Amino acid sequence: MSWWLVSFGRGGPARYISHLDTIRVVQRTFARADIEFALTQGMRPKPRLSLPLALPTGAAALDELAVVEVAGETQEAALGMHLVALRAAVADGFTIERLVMAGERPRPQAVAAAYQCRLRVPCADVRGALEWFVDAPSVSVVRASPKGRKAVELKEHVCELSASPRDADTMLAFTLRYGPSGSARVDEVVTALADRLGIEPLVLDLTRLGVTWKGLPSRLLAAAGEIAPGGDAAGKGDDWQ
Amino acid sequence: MRTLPEESHDEVRLRHDLNDLLARVARPGRYVGGEFHTRHKPGASPRIVLSYPDVYEIGIANTGLQILYAGLNDATPAAAERAYCPWPDMALVMRARGVPLWSLESGAPVRDAQLWGFTLQHELTYTNILEMLDLAGVPLHAEERDEADPIVLGGGPGTANPLPLAPFFDAFFIGEAEGRLAEIVAALAAPTRAQRLRALGAVPGIFLPHEPQATGGDGRVRRQVFMGFSQTPPVTAPLVPLIEGVHDRVVIEVMRGCSAGCRFCQAGMWYRPVRERPAAMVVEAAAQALKATGCDEVSLISLSSCDYGGVREAVAGIRARFPQVRVSLPSLRVDSAAVVLARLGDEQRGSVTLAPEAGTQGLRDAINKRVDEETFGAAVRGVFGAGYSGLKLYFMVGLPGETDDDVAAIAALASSALSHAKAAAPGRARVSLAVSSFVPKAHSAFERAGFAGESVIRHRQELLRALLARPLKVRFHDVETSLVEATMAMGGREVGRLIEAAWRAGARFDGWSESFDAAIWRRAAAEVDIELGGPAWDRAETLPWLPVDSLVHDAFLREEAARAVRAEITDDCRDGTCTSCGVCSGEIEMDLVR
Repeated sequence: MSWWLVSFGRGGPARYISHLDTIRVVQRTFARADIEFALTQGMRPKPRLSLPLALPTGAAALDELAVVEVAGETQEAALGMHLVALRAAVADGFTIERLVMAGERPRPQAVAAAYQCRLRVPCADVRGALEWFVDAPSVSVVRASPKGRKAVELKEHVCELSASPRDADTMLAFTLRYGPSGSARVDEVVTALADRLGIEPLVLDLTRLGVTWKGLPSRLLAAAGEIAPGGDAAGKGDDWQ
Repeated sequence: MRTLPEESHDEVRLRHDLNDLLARVARPGRYVGGEFHTRHKPGASPRIVLSYPDVYEIGIANTGLQILYAGLNDATPAAAERAYCPWPDMALVMRARGVPLWSLESGAPVRDAQLWGFTLQHELTYTNILEMLDLAGVPLHAEERDEADPIVLGGGPGTANPLPLAPFFDAFFIGEAEGRLAEIVAALAAPTRAQRLRALGAVPGIFLPHEPQATGGDGRVRRQVFMGFSQTPPVTAPLVPLIEGVHDRVVIEVMRGCSAGCRFCQAGMWYRPVRERPAAMVVEAAAQALKATGCDEVSLISLSSCDYGGVREAVAGIRARFPQVRVSLPSLRVDSAAVVLARLGDEQRGSVTLAPEAGTQGLRDAINKRVDEETFGAAVRGVFGAGYSGLKLYFMVGLPGETDDDVAAIAALASSALSHAKAAAPGRARVSLAVSSFVPKAHSAFERAGFAGESVIRHRQELLRALLARPLKVRFHDVETSLVEATMAMGGREVGRLIEAAWRAGARFDGWSESFDAAIWRRAAAEVDIELGGPAWDRAETLPWLPVDSLVHDAFLREEAARAVRAEITDDCRDGTCTSCGVCSGEIEMDLVR
């Protein structure tokens, strides 16, 4: 058995599928590439596959991470061939960026993730709202779930806010921090700003630019395409400010 | 002749609006395509849109649409694209923003296609067809369409009785279209819509409900039978959705048609004669499709897969090459050999379904379901002996000639199954029942039988519920949906007014229990003066679906109905005795694996 880290991106129609569907696509891609997963134990064995940070439905992504265990021993020299097979097998809208062997089972945990999305309002207005967000002592939203309702303090989780003009609209960029108390959600950030701006809280053209991980050996960080908040290690976040 | 525009005004607007729309709806993946094996043919002509009139997750699993999609794109110059019925949340925002229905492949408006084909799978999707026409901006009524509108064509088993949909369709294809795709595409090359319709009308199997048409001597349109079935491999690069559909498996159609002759069954008559694919072709197709899709299950489908002559060889062949792959056999025959075979293909599944359909021997004989209690008992013992822990039994109520005693016997049969189950698998055996309401269908032996009626069905359901002992669980088909289904199944052109009135009042997704609203249908029926559960015609007179020649002789169906009254069995013609149903003639004959 061998642990692999697979970094991948998605866009086009693929951005509109859910986290579980994304897992299914990765699983299917491996099957089409004739790469066999190691299976979990138990009555109903499942492939050993995890995507450590769920992508919101509707989000494109430049550099996501999948952790997989494949059956049999992988030779380092064969990785290139596997990468070619995966790229040939993946669905339209997905890209397989890199593939590395991880040695021990990697347990990456997201520390932060950088996002951008479009707001249908002039940039000057958004910059005003961002100033309000930064200066306000508290910006909280109420999150409803089947378990009940709870207040989420956005200022604990959101940083690196910026705005840049895109045609008549604005590209909003921000970073979400992940910690023991969880994090905020993209739609909660957008809703808070939209309320301030008096616009409809629509999350449009959302892209996750990259994720900062902990729990990965340093040699794997580059493979995971990590970017530091405020930076663009992968060189792909054209709209990142 | 139009070609696919590089970028029409509507297309630009669609692209602009799409993100906005998708941000407002549940499961946006339904509306964007991008599946594995999507065919893109930009600039190809003619542009055809294929639709299954239900939500994407249901439609993407439809085998017929997959066959036509692959056939049109891979073997003709046409570009075949797809559109499914938007869920009400999407329909709402599309209407609010004036965005017309688009096809998944090009994103272009459906209304710009030359041909829009609908799969008519069952009656409870019919209001969705009107919904899609309206969302696309295509006039509902065929007579209101002009040069700019696509020709709206219906196909699939619903064309056994297309008359209720006649007001909304320009044409129907009666039967199996695989062998006629090139002719249909060629007909679309005519320069005007009227000429295209006339050219289509000359294609065998096309029924034009609003145009004079050259047909056979009797004025009827003959159902088309694809006699190349056995020599043509199944689709091995099917569309595989990115979001979860209702099925996630490779589907290989091993056999078309069924000769069992169940008298309630429309498909058993409609798809005659039986044609089988060689087992080697099935195994090779399964291998290619497994590789192409990444699935870990193969379903060998047909109307009765255990009757397929190559079933053992195919199941064993697939399991030998892919030991980890499950091979499922839907529509299991009620006998112990079939159960053993099912287990051979799929060791992991915990339950199995058998369909005795009726409780007494007399009624089973009347419906020509050749199952006796000894065979049934052996099958049940076989289920639990093979290691299954669950058994589901299918029955119907409201069958012609049925009495309360027949219904009481369902409870007795289920109890005996439970006893067998407890003896074979103490502590873990589960037995449940699914009970549907009999709805008479065109071209079946019971096409003139009539629907039992709401009060009779409710009475029989209550009777059975009261008689069933714990822990037997039962699930009944909703009576009111059966009432609506029966009205459409047995109706003529006049039922089109009912469908339209119900749609205008808000009926959508009638096959979904959370969407079906009986009150809407009752009000619509009152408005157009049609009795739900009909039929509106005199059974002794001409049947509404007379324009459709199913190839099964009317005399045969009448004789089968008479034999049902006498509870006489008719043998399976596969076993060598021709029953003179009339289908086999000239080039049309059974094509079996021997």
